[in-house]
Amino acid sequence: MAKVALVEAITMAMAYEMAHDDSVVVLGEDVGKNGGVFRATLGLQERFGAERVIDTPLAEALIAGISIGMAAMGLKPIAEIQFSGFIYPCVDEIINHAGRLRSRTRGRLSVPMVLRAPSGGGIHAPEHHSESNEALFAHMPGIRVVMPSSPQRAYGLLLAAIRDPDPVIFLEPTRLYRLNKQEVADDGTALPLDTCFVLREGTDVTLVTWGAMVVESMAAAELLEKDGVSVEVIDLATVSPIDEQTILESVEKTGRCVIVQEAPITGGVGSEVAALIAEKALYSLEAPIVRVAGWDTPMPLFKLEHDYMPSIARVSAGITAVMEG
Amino acid sequence: MKTFNLPDLGEGLQEAEIVTWHVKQGDTVKVDQPLLSVETAKAVVDVPSPYAGRIAKLYWKDGDIVPTHAALVDFDIGDGASAAPAATPVPKAQAPKAPAVVTEEPIAEDSGTVVGKMATSSTLVEETAIIRKRSVKGTGKPKAAPAVRAYAKGLGVDLTRLTGTGKNDLITRSDVDRAASSPGAIAGSKDRRGEARPPSVKPSAPLAPIAYGEMVPLKGPRRAMQSAMSKTRSEVAECTIFDDADVHGWTPGNDITARIVRSIVAGVRAEPGFNAWYDGEKVARQIHERIDLAMAVDTPEGLIVPVMRDVGSKDLAQLRADLNVVKEKTHARTVSPEDMRNPTITLSNFGMMAGRYATPVVVPPQVAIVGTGGVRHDVVPVLGGVEVHKRIPLSLTFDHRCLTGGEACRFLAAMIKDLQKAQ
Repeated sequence: MAKVALVEAITMAMAYEMAHDDSVVVLGEDVGKNGGVFRATLGLQERFGAERVIDTPLAEALIAGISIGMAAMGLKPIAEIQFSGFIYPCVDEIINHAGRLRSRTRGRLSVPMVLRAPSGGGIHAPEHHSESNEALFAHMPGIRVVMPSSPQRAYGLLLAAIRDPDPVIFLEPTRLYRLNKQEVADDGTALPLDTCFVLREGTDVTLVTWGAMVVESMAAAELLEKDGVSVEVIDLATVSPIDEQTILESVEKTGRCVIVQEAPITGGVGSEVAALIAEKALYSLEAPIVRVAGWDTPMPLFKLEHDYMPSIARVSAGITAVMEG
Repeated sequence: MKTFNLPDLGEGLQEAEIVTWHVKQGDTVKVDQPLLSVETAKAVVDVPSPYAGRIAKLYWKDGDIVPTHAALVDFDIGDGASAAPAATPVPKAQAPKAPAVVTEEPIAEDSGTVVGKMATSSTLVEETAIIRKRSVKGTGKPKAAPAVRAYAKGLGVDLTRLTGTGKNDLITRSDVDRAASSPGAIAGSKDRRGEARPPSVKPSAPLAPIAYGEMVPLKGPRRAMQSAMSKTRSEVAECTIFDDADVHGWTPGNDITARIVRSIVAGVRAEPGFNAWYDGEKVARQIHERIDLAMAVDTPEGLIVPVMRDVGSKDLAQLRADLNVVKEKTHARTVSPEDMRNPTITLSNFGMMAGRYATPVVVPPQVAIVGTGGVRHDVVPVLGGVEVHKRIPLSLTFDHRCLTGGEACRFLAAMIKDLQKAQ
């Protein structure tokens, strides 16, 4: 089995599906000759040709619009946006058309497209290269939002996203692109798009997180294990729709919940998870839910980005607070 | 014959300077073989060959400035049949292979991104990602509304011992009320869910008949305490004085309890009459050389007073060892009657809980007991100004039948003097 980094797993998944499904095409800025701003599409144009790996003009609205048209007419486009901060020109296309075409045409048309974008901070990049905007899309009906946190999940979830008949916003944690490697079997096996992944079993507190924050969350859980606190870490992975059952059953078991997100705290996906628990597992709660999140400010320039992103210390403090509460 | 024109180098530039040719007339080249290096305003880039064939003519020489789209090279490619797909040859600006000339800023290896710093490692992820099987069985943990949980907590009711009577076995406020008022009647008849009430409102659940506590005789240490205390009250003429030891000057790492024990030794050295037994009937006292200090220790069963023998001959480390033995024995409940026999003076160190000063009770035939409150920060006047110092509150009760107030003050002064030493 190949030991690959997360970004290489992304490439592997696209290459596998392109080799097995002629309707899959890749498009975006510099995805062809250049191999993508993060090299996620490296080698794809050489292998599958310029007709299927298309360098687009520098125009994000166009990338989204073309993809929707391709998808509605039977192709399976995988579009790349270079950074999640550049995704905003696509919002109109994605919300008004990608997410609604199935409903608008009463099922006659669907939009099996994937919009890939790197997401989150921690790589010392300038403004609008580091944002976590998953909540924008998670709020909109008709769109799936997926965030992998390991090479295996990147591979399996991207395959599932490509094969899914509806639009999927696939947000890749930039910080994890090359942070480490994992053995990934390139056998075309997709992972389910409707489940959380339990990364660590525990009995005292449930920690729900996703994307790059999995790293800090696992480290904090490890740390607190020494203090006798048993933390169950759940990778949300499919940010929208949310796998409610895994979370609720865990919270019913532990009675406590900490939610860790890199995005600003207000109106984030963490708020949705907290609301879910309040609605459906309130009677099992032994302490108020705690959210550990980015601040309600723009992502700062890189000197301050580590003050913005939840640290191991902040996550640990959150767990301690919910244990004392 | 094919003519290759200088391509647009992708930056909208009108011209480029030839740094060096990598081929000469007559060479045979392959597709993508670097032909020449050109310098644009930004970088030195290699221009690859779009054709396979023989170089027929070079139009320019090193150092020339070439307009974009001007003829650059003529290729002899035979009949033209072997022409490579001459789509649009694009210079490999992103990853030049060994540029012939080092540019001012050497082009770094591909780090996988064009902005920022990408953390890279080959560390293997060790993780198990479990997709949970769907279970329908409950966890067996009690379910209760947060308000009911808070209410139960306030009344000291343990929810795990209750059976809920609400919908889906939810524990209601009434369940908590019942458990609080009559521990025997935890499970009851089916009830509506406890409706939320502001905490200030008295619960309206039917009041259980008032059950006053049962009369239970005192036993064990508690009984021993009552007998000792009653004897004191009927015999001893108690007098208590208070003061504080300022321990601002302590070096770090001082063992508070061991230091207090040592200070009592200092007090006894100054006033040996405090380490004594007094017999009120005979009107006689025995002053002891050896100091056997009783330590009052709080336990759930009551007050236990094990004795540390001959504390006057021990240094701080030995005192700590003795204190640890006392602590372990009390904790393990292995203090024997022998361990509590014949103390000559007593220390009650209640500082770790609450309380500042006290009037501890002398236990005859002893004649003195020292009480110490917790070390705390106090505002103290210093040289006309104000400082915050750590201080230990001290209380000394003595039997005024056989000791004078002056002696007590000197005893306490000696204690304070010893306690205030740096170590």
